[in-house]
Amino acid sequence: MFSCSSTLWESGTPADWSMGMGNCTLARCPLSGASGSQGLAYTNSKKLVVNSSSVFTVRYFRTTAVHRDDVVTVNTPAFAESVTEGDVRWEKAVGDTVAEDEVVCEIETDKTSVQVPAPAAGVIEALLVPDGGKVEGGTPLFKLRKTGAAPAKAKPAAAPPPPAAPEPVAAPAPPPAAAPIPTTMPPVPPVSTQPIDSKPVSAVKPAAAPAAAPPGEAVPTKGARSEHRVKMNRMRQRIAQRLKEAQNTCAMLTTFNEIDMSNIREMRAVHKDTFLKKHNLKLGFMSAFVKAAAFALQDQPVVNAVIDDTTKEIVYRDYVDISVAVATPRGLVVPVVRNVENMNFADIERAIYELGEKARKNELAIEDMDGGTFTISNGGVFGSLFGTPIINPPQSAILGMHAIFDRPVAVGGKIEVRPMMFVALTYDHRLIDGREAVTFLRKIKAAVEDPRVLLLDL
Amino acid sequence: MRCAVFKNMVLQSLKNCLWLSCVLRTPKACFWSTASGGLIIQSVSNDVYQNLAVEDWIHDHMDLEKQQVLFLWRNSPAVVIGRHQNPWQECNLRLLRQKNIKLARRRSGGGTVYHDLGNVNLTFFTTRKKYERMENLKLVVKALKALRPQLDVHVTDRYDILLDRQYKISGTAAKLGRTSAYHHCTLLCNADKFVLSSVLKSPFKGLKSNATPSVPALVKNLFEEDPSLTSEMLLDAIAKEYAVQHQIDHHITLINPADETLLPGISDKTNELQTWEWVYGKTPKFSVSTCLNMVYKDSILDVKVNMDVKHGRIEVCNIDLPEQWLPPGLYSELVKSLTGSKFCPNETTTLVTTLLRVCPQDDELHTRWSLLCENIIRLM
Repeated sequence: MFSCSSTLWESGTPADWSMGMGNCTLARCPLSGASGSQGLAYTNSKKLVVNSSSVFTVRYFRTTAVHRDDVVTVNTPAFAESVTEGDVRWEKAVGDTVAEDEVVCEIETDKTSVQVPAPAAGVIEALLVPDGGKVEGGTPLFKLRKTGAAPAKAKPAAAPPPPAAPEPVAAPAPPPAAAPIPTTMPPVPPVSTQPIDSKPVSAVKPAAAPAAAPPGEAVPTKGARSEHRVKMNRMRQRIAQRLKEAQNTCAMLTTFNEIDMSNIREMRAVHKDTFLKKHNLKLGFMSAFVKAAAFALQDQPVVNAVIDDTTKEIVYRDYVDISVAVATPRGLVVPVVRNVENMNFADIERAIYELGEKARKNELAIEDMDGGTFTISNGGVFGSLFGTPIINPPQSAILGMHAIFDRPVAVGGKIEVRPMMFVALTYDHRLIDGREAVTFLRKIKAAVEDPRVLLLDL
Repeated sequence: MRCAVFKNMVLQSLKNCLWLSCVLRTPKACFWSTASGGLIIQSVSNDVYQNLAVEDWIHDHMDLEKQQVLFLWRNSPAVVIGRHQNPWQECNLRLLRQKNIKLARRRSGGGTVYHDLGNVNLTFFTTRKKYERMENLKLVVKALKALRPQLDVHVTDRYDILLDRQYKISGTAAKLGRTSAYHHCTLLCNADKFVLSSVLKSPFKGLKSNATPSVPALVKNLFEEDPSLTSEMLLDAIAKEYAVQHQIDHHITLINPADETLLPGISDKTNELQTWEWVYGKTPKFSVSTCLNMVYKDSILDVKVNMDVKHGRIEVCNIDLPEQWLPPGLYSELVKSLTGSKFCPNETTTLVTTLLRVCPQDDELHTRWSLLCENIIRLM
């Protein structure tokens, strides 16, 4: 709609304007600064060569209008009121593709932010002022190589620095199918997996390009067979490496069981309001599992222990610190609830809630995320039915929770439909025997299916 | 997208909205019929992000040729930094997090301010041609004087409003778009000065940046001058004066910034303003050069840390540790992992605890690692 911005100045020549820019709003733009004199000033000053890509654009007035692929220099707009100078803040970098009207930089003058859009679609060829540099009205700002490129592709071009390149959202296998705790903890830290292109002007434009399209390439059409490479996140590499090491040192295997969730559900239904009233916390399922796990760990201390490979000793711990695995876009995060052996359900819910709050407030400390003697991971949030979690080194076992599904089961000789959850315990067989592992898991099952077991210490 | 067709669509949808007749404070059929030069709207929300999003929305979508707009808003406790400022330099981020005070980056230039419900925000929307900050501020002063003639308030040439010739009660910032512009300012009625001064003081040392700095000023609340004043009274007085000057009816239209049908696209704008990439990532490049004094086993270790942060991410990282204090492999792993990651506590905590999990279990190492990393994280 606008072939040139009313706030911008191209260092073409008077001849160009009369020729090709008939619908340009230059005539009534607030920047007087005589167009003619601007052109004339250039012929007199040394800026002559700097402003044009070649001597030809100066000598032969018609060339810039005819060529589609010309370079224009965009100057600082005149400032409003009596302001004389401002600071330049670049939004785009050299090599970025921009659409017409897309903001290239902002100039801050005296508490006012003025946007400088691109006069046409093209590629930024050069930035003539450093970021934060001072400019006055008319100072050359940047050089744009005009192209006929469609604007939509420009959006992904403003790619964030490489390490933050679009990360694959759904991790294919590994870290223990972790997920947010079903109570209140939000993912830590909230990170968007897409590059955010935050320009007010372009935000209004219809977005066409897929966010992951690499800069400059044609948007793949149906049936295209291109591929693009994304550097693997450092953390991911380290974790993957460590997991493989763990797999190689531990003799990992998994035992399964299923849990009838009817009683726990009923307990929640009956007591959740009172719980909320008294503790100002929501009563979730996590507390039941965390407490059951602590109970079982005290009953089978070897599951709470770990092998010290350097000294070939088994380290038994008298305390139970449970790591709750949370999936975040940044990778697996395992905040720890400490000394669970001394906590009741309310204490556990509170600890989980507080960790969530710290995460939300960006106040997590190292000791909140460090250590842990046993891990619980919940794949159920994603709807998983069954699965083998992988041990979170340097621990010896991990409990995987899955989704609750109504299933027909045999109860007292009859078929009934009950809400059932499969649970899996992956353990290090070097340390823990099959018998111990199975007993441990059955203890968890008993404690979750009937919390009175905890009270009665059965 | 500023074409006339779209603007008409927006106007039309606004006209058709039923809520118009419901929320008008005075019984009028439709505010468009009185649209001769001005419109006064007030936000029902106290969320700083929602309100900033409304400003964006009006700036991008409304046709200000026919009428100018005055937007009145207040926020629950928040620190608002200017478009090109550095939050680490401008405020005490730790304190903000502890006190649950939000941090927002606005799209206009200028310095950092503290908002709470005792502070009133005014935004004057005009076309770019009619952009005139001094006139707006004089309007505010006139309104204040009409309300309380004994108040000694005047506008400085730095676009501040001073009380009793020395206390700043209002700061200004503005944004100029292609065809439209806005000028907004604060007005201190009864804000918490104690919180204000403590959050706007950054403990950060060794930060070098060319970000726009704030100019600290002595502030005072109008309430201290005249305890009978409330924020509502100020809003009303200013609206009244605006109405008079624009020859429109003195009635204020309430708008809900969460209303997507009224303001299509508003939730996207609101979300964008809350992203880390906007609030922190838009900080101009800066460098950190500081010395960590770590107390370790009855001695003090001086560890020099140098970092370059661009787009809120660590571009270059140098930590000067005594040799062999950490196993070299682990040390280089730390530096490599920090490079490219966000200058953000949670992010770094995740990173260092993950690294900790993947290295040999050694209590001494563990302690040293935690000590070093905690100190680094404290910088953020």
